[in-house]
Amino acid sequence: MRARYPDSDGIVVRDGVEIRYERYGDGWPAILLLPAWSLVHSRHWKMQVPYLARHFTVVCFDGRGSGGSGRPAEASAYSDAAFVSDALAVMDAAGIASAVLVSVSRGAQWALRLCAGHPDRVLASVFIAPSALLAPPLAERQVQRFDEVIDDPVGWQTYNAHYWKTHYPEFVTFFVGRMLTEPHSTKQIEDVTGWALETDGETLAATDGAPEYGGAAVTRQLAAQLACPVLVMHGTQDAVRSHGEGEALASCTGGALVTLAGAGHFPHVRDPVRVNLLIRQFADGVRR
Amino acid sequence: MRARLPDRDGVVRRDGVRVAFEVFGQGEPALLLIPASPITHARSWKGIVPALARRFTVITTDGRGTGRSDRPRTPERYTPAEVTADLLAVLEAAGIGQAVLVAHCHAVPWALRLATDHPERAAGVFAIAPAVALAPPYPSAVDAERRWADPVEAPAGWSMRNRHFWRQDGGYRQWIEFFFGQQLPEPHSTKQYEDTVGWALDTDAEAMIAEREGRDAPLASEAEALCRRVRCPVRSLHGSDDRCQPVARGRRLAELTGGDLVVLEGAGHLPHSRDPVKVTRLIAEFAGKITGTSMHTTTWTRGPCRPPRTLYLSSPIGLGHARRDVAVARELKRLRPELEIDWLAQHPVTAVLDAEGEHIHPASQRLASESAHVASEAAGHDLHCFQALRRMDEILVANFMVFQEVVEEGSYDLVIGDEAWDVDYYWHENPELKRGQNVWLTDFVGYLPMPDGGEREAFLTTDYNAEMIEHIDRYPWIRDRAIFVGNDDDIVPDTFGGNLPPIRDWTTEHFSYSGYITGFIPPGPDEVAPLRAQLGYRDDELVCVVAVGGSGVGQSLIEMAVAAYPLAKKTAPELRMIVVTGPRIDPAAFPQHPGLELRGYVHRLYQHLCVCDLAIVQGGLTTTMELTAAKRPFLYFPLGHHFEQNFHVRYRLDRYDAGHCMDYAATDPDLMAAQITELSGQPVSYRDVETDGAARAAQLIAELI
Repeated sequence: MRARYPDSDGIVVRDGVEIRYERYGDGWPAILLLPAWSLVHSRHWKMQVPYLARHFTVVCFDGRGSGGSGRPAEASAYSDAAFVSDALAVMDAAGIASAVLVSVSRGAQWALRLCAGHPDRVLASVFIAPSALLAPPLAERQVQRFDEVIDDPVGWQTYNAHYWKTHYPEFVTFFVGRMLTEPHSTKQIEDVTGWALETDGETLAATDGAPEYGGAAVTRQLAAQLACPVLVMHGTQDAVRSHGEGEALASCTGGALVTLAGAGHFPHVRDPVRVNLLIRQFADGVRR
Repeated sequence: MRARLPDRDGVVRRDGVRVAFEVFGQGEPALLLIPASPITHARSWKGIVPALARRFTVITTDGRGTGRSDRPRTPERYTPAEVTADLLAVLEAAGIGQAVLVAHCHAVPWALRLATDHPERAAGVFAIAPAVALAPPYPSAVDAERRWADPVEAPAGWSMRNRHFWRQDGGYRQWIEFFFGQQLPEPHSTKQYEDTVGWALDTDAEAMIAEREGRDAPLASEAEALCRRVRCPVRSLHGSDDRCQPVARGRRLAELTGGDLVVLEGAGHLPHSRDPVKVTRLIAEFAGKITGTSMHTTTWTRGPCRPPRTLYLSSPIGLGHARRDVAVARELKRLRPELEIDWLAQHPVTAVLDAEGEHIHPASQRLASESAHVASEAAGHDLHCFQALRRMDEILVANFMVFQEVVEEGSYDLVIGDEAWDVDYYWHENPELKRGQNVWLTDFVGYLPMPDGGEREAFLTTDYNAEMIEHIDRYPWIRDRAIFVGNDDDIVPDTFGGNLPPIRDWTTEHFSYSGYITGFIPPGPDEVAPLRAQLGYRDDELVCVVAVGGSGVGQSLIEMAVAAYPLAKKTAPELRMIVVTGPRIDPAAFPQHPGLELRGYVHRLYQHLCVCDLAIVQGGLTTTMELTAAKRPFLYFPLGHHFEQNFHVRYRLDRYDAGHCMDYAATDPDLMAAQITELSGQPVSYRDVETDGAARAAQLIAELI
């Protein structure tokens, strides 16, 4: 049973792809909880929604390729621009003129584009463990070769399009283990694994082949256009995206940085209380 | 002594009227604190300035008519236009473009005018108990206002607010005493009452009358229009028991300006004086949001990743407790090796901690000096320590705010406060701020009046004791463990005063006893000679150690000992005198004699005391108990008017049959010299002092973690 059910939900269709969203509460400002990578769907916000909805209007949606949203097969359907347009369409459908964005990991790229390209729709932006692409990948990830065929891949070598088609559950087990490095995370690992297995390896491979997933220069360019307040949270034990990425993003956006000592890649799942309080405090500042 | 002195000050002069201001600290945004002058002035902010100035630029002004400002005597010099022009001139002179305007009572309309006429100057308005006619005044005020200019005969109560009465002999004072009696409805507000009455008497009836008649406060409709024009953020703060301004006024101010309202339930008209901790935090939060400075780069450590940590506060008055606290910390680390201990302490305690390799929290540097305050309160061999503690109010709150930041940022599991009065008091006054487990240590319980203080002092000590007892009764969870450093029969047979219970019974009910903690094991009979040799004392000399503690109070006793030395040496030529002045008294300031040595700080002074042939000391507990434990003869001179030394310590020493109590006022160098020669090297028969006190205290503390 959920702690709180949506006050309304719906589906928007864009370019033939269905996007499922939910809306909770009616406070001001609105908070848009962006999708992360399509490995997970909007239930990854389950520890935030009931609390935030008591204070704010909360809107979340399943990113294309996950949950109740459509799963187009071609990589071009998963461009950053597509996710940004989905977010705007959901805001329109949910009746939200402007919102505080909260993103995790890869969602950072879509949040940056929303902030820079649609400043009238964004009040402020929270980045959790952002894939900011501003720091070199973690040392252990440098063995990754996404498109190559690798015999008996191990570790980060399993981050591989070919492997996912045949061994998706094995990859999920590995990857979720890297997301939740904190001791005693069994429930969180079970949850994320379950959400990941609701999609499939082929779909996920398509999401990762998107052409616009730019590099440091693009991020810096977008960051320079940001005018809204920014809060970045990043764990020191993040084994997917280095703490340095969050640090660099805070610095180039002029935002505040909260370092979560001991935390991994999904602090909103593993340390929901602190993350909730930080979001609340930040959004309250916008309210003034 | 003030908790913090201004970094700069100045005076602006407009049409020949001088208005004084002070500037503290730096940081955005600036805060301009506007008192309801001339009935009060800049000092009324003393409880909140030191903490705010650590984050923001704080500008205070006395306002025309009082303090260090001029006191014009005609109403046209007190119009709102004049006062707001003063405020602008102060900002100008202080080099401040924009500030959050923090105003109290009838200063709020001035702040609102400033914020609407010069919006570029106002980053926000923080209105405390606003006197703005947005809701009806109390009927008593309406009555008095109507009869303000009428001649009155022997008025009482609110009708003393009358221009003719103020001009009568003593009339103004009577009014002020009545008025502030009304404005501090919170129990145990004696110090705040004395302060506010004192500030009000810094001006006079003529300036007060002129201001009142020139005030031209906005009428209801004007006030409403004024509020609607405010464009900056507003917060209104109002006590529910404010008897000067109805809460409805604060509420309406918030509504009309789109601001927020904070009601302090149970508070009166002067929350910045009576609840300085809460008011400071509310102002800091309000100002922090304006510039977004409340968010910056921070680290939050996951709960399971944190090592157990303790913050240890060692009473900073003198060197008193440093040794015993180090001993307790050592025992605690023996029981819980993984425990990290940070010390929040100040000079001279930090000298001991440094020498012992303990970790001193860097925020210690931000503490206002309690030792210097105590020294400033002493005159000759006299220190009225109860009044000195009362007058230390602004230092205590300033230091509490430092402590609270440290404890919130450091995620401490445990706070140990050895007579950390600020923590104990303000956590009981602001219980929601408590963090971690809290251990309270003390070696005396109960304020006792000095006989020559009369009824007033007896009333005050009883009131302070009652407040402490009520604190503990109401919030038994603030002190997780209270440890009395001693035993039940060390406690005086007195009561807390009035109808309050006997001190010993109450203490036994609310404390655990650790036994006395010397912090060292005295040398055994066969260890004395080697230790003497090691410290450079020969067997054939009589070593007299004179020590006056670390607080800087003790000059007079040293002078007498130095004068007695040559007299005593005539009868006892083998006499050698070591005078330890402590870190705050210059040893070079005294006359020299052969055989007389003056030293500043002596590390491990207790070793010298343990092997001396006689000691001359004040009546402080630590040193006298070190001598008792080491079984050395000693003369002790309790400081005049020091209730702890005259009652608590003396009672305990008598129980141990230890020491010779001397009355400084009745002693001259001849008498002291005679006592030196009579007692030096004489055997004593004191009761034993336990040596396991530190271990027992540590055991009591370790049970909590």
